[in-house]
Amino acid sequence: MRKNKLVSILAVAGLAVATLGFTASTSHAAVFQVRLYVSGDTNVEKMWLTELIPAFEKANPNYNVDVSSFDLHGKNDALTLAKIMAAAKLKKDAGFDVIEAGFVQELGLKGFLTIPSTSRIPNISKVPDSLMELAKGGIPYRASTVLLAYNSKVVATPPKTMDDLLVWIKANPGRFTYNQPSGGGSGYAFAQSVIDKYMTDADIKTLVNEVNKPLQAKWKAGFDVLKSLNPYTYGKNGTYPSGNAATLSLVSNGSVDMATVWSDQFLSGLKAGTIPSYWKVAQISGPALTGGPAMLGVPKGSRQGVAAQRFINWVLSPAAQNIIVGGTLNGYPVIPVTLLSEANQSKFAVGTDISTLRPGYLSSNSTDFKNQWALEVPGK
Amino acid sequence: MALPPILVLGIFIGLPIGLAFFLSIGYTGGLNEVISIIGQDVRGRDGKLFTLQAYKDVIADPRFAGDLKTTLIVSFVATILVLIFSIGVGLLQRLRGGKLSSILTGLSLTPLFIPVVISSWALYTFYGSAGLYRTIFNSFGLDIPQITSTMLAVIIGSIWTSLPFAILMVTSGFQSVPNALIEAAQDAGASLITIIRTVMLPLALIPIIIVATFTSIGVLGSFTIPYFLGPNQPTMFGVEITNFFTAYNRPQQSVVMAFIVFAAASGIAISYIWANFRSAKESGRV
Repeated sequence: MRKNKLVSILAVAGLAVATLGFTASTSHAAVFQVRLYVSGDTNVEKMWLTELIPAFEKANPNYNVDVSSFDLHGKNDALTLAKIMAAAKLKKDAGFDVIEAGFVQELGLKGFLTIPSTSRIPNISKVPDSLMELAKGGIPYRASTVLLAYNSKVVATPPKTMDDLLVWIKANPGRFTYNQPSGGGSGYAFAQSVIDKYMTDADIKTLVNEVNKPLQAKWKAGFDVLKSLNPYTYGKNGTYPSGNAATLSLVSNGSVDMATVWSDQFLSGLKAGTIPSYWKVAQISGPALTGGPAMLGVPKGSRQGVAAQRFINWVLSPAAQNIIVGGTLNGYPVIPVTLLSEANQSKFAVGTDISTLRPGYLSSNSTDFKNQWALEVPGK
Repeated sequence: MALPPILVLGIFIGLPIGLAFFLSIGYTGGLNEVISIIGQDVRGRDGKLFTLQAYKDVIADPRFAGDLKTTLIVSFVATILVLIFSIGVGLLQRLRGGKLSSILTGLSLTPLFIPVVISSWALYTFYGSAGLYRTIFNSFGLDIPQITSTMLAVIIGSIWTSLPFAILMVTSGFQSVPNALIEAAQDAGASLITIIRTVMLPLALIPIIIVATFTSIGVLGSFTIPYFLGPNQPTMFGVEITNFFTAYNRPQQSVVMAFIVFAAASGIAISYIWANFRSAKESGRV
């Protein structure tokens, strides 16, 4: 009797182990795990975690996307870059299959990315060639631009050109602000656009595409203009908000009447009600405020390179681009607007061409730029 | 028994500090290779034993003098004010007692339970141009300048974060002064000022020195408060080091600044060690 009981217990246990092993092995065989690394603001995190990834996993049940690490505001970008480069040197796995970060371009330039091809990612054929060229081996998947936000109750007709904007700032002391370039892209775009006003198109193109120290000397004229704005920007004492969020908080509490903001953050704030409805945005010209694509990259040593590229192909599909445009992020698509749903098409003016966005400088030039700005402008 | 903690400290703290130090004097190979490839303006030793070029770069940078001045002034002023406030509350509680002092002590502990990021934002909103502080003055027709983005705001924020610990230390220091000594002084006709100066302060000297060292080292290395409340330039080293490391991609220079701050903090730490040594000597442990 006793023996029988023991046997039956063993049998049950054995069966349980066998079942476990069986289910484990089947699920393991069918699922491709793509490890995604995202470096960005909370709105980007929200889009990936609550919108894009669930939609992708629903459409592709045998795929699993793991946001193994999310780096808020890209504070650890330098460390992550070091990790990926070190892993590539040692031919080890860096721990990521898809990377979304500001340094994707730099990884591409240094040859650490899998070069995208239409055979693996057919949808890149829909992405404008100029964007693909800019990406240096990364894959643009959404875009946003910096716009001039203004309080329509105070400002009836917003400035149309950079010159008009500079005149307005000096005519309305303390009512305009942009955040320090090192703290966020919206302030960076304004600063770079003022600088670019005094540079030739060829020079700007060079700084967008390659590391070039000697050319940086030409920034001087623009920095002098930025310095001359110190008594006229918010606070009137040559200090600037710390980042994108700080600028938006000044916008929402009425401390300023005009500021440069990210298109997507502004639209999300308007939708959420944190920015009053009478705030509007406009683009200026001569030069336009910078914008550009956010990119994905597949590191060369990725363990799931094929699955990663399939995932990216899905992100470039109209279904995913509709989520990017219509979801909480309110981004710009990288595929032609005409491929989007009608509701999302109506968000863009007819003829909106994503490939005409004015890009920022290459990352090592832009870090030099942020450094120079801190030396030349604030508190002077 | 002491071996495991020493090993952990050695591997996870000692080794990185050692690596960083060698990077700062120009050792760009080995474990420092990748960071040297990524970083901009990295100075190598070029076959020499070491180079101080990175230190020279940092000191020659026009921002350095301003940052150093700001960091030292903010740390010094905040420490003095924290000492004055905590000694004031401590004395009130020890000599007077009563409801007011209990309320003050209780209130002063509030910042302990509010994360620094939250309180920085609160201070930023309160003292900003549309904040309550300016609104109140404005309703009386006074247009006072906003104090966010100034050193003053950083000092206020630093006091806010440092005060709870200071008050806890100083009050407990004053509590341990025996009643008999205070009463003896009173019987001998000593005034309140004399009692504070000759009895209370000397007996609570050690906790006061500990408060002074902890506050000044804490403020010296602070990041959140100066980041949110301070001016962009000149700023405190905590913010500047982060800027150099991430935004400007100059890891070597940020390491150099870290060692300069470390040297300053070590100077302060000596007084802390002296205070500890003295208290150990008094209780007969040394």
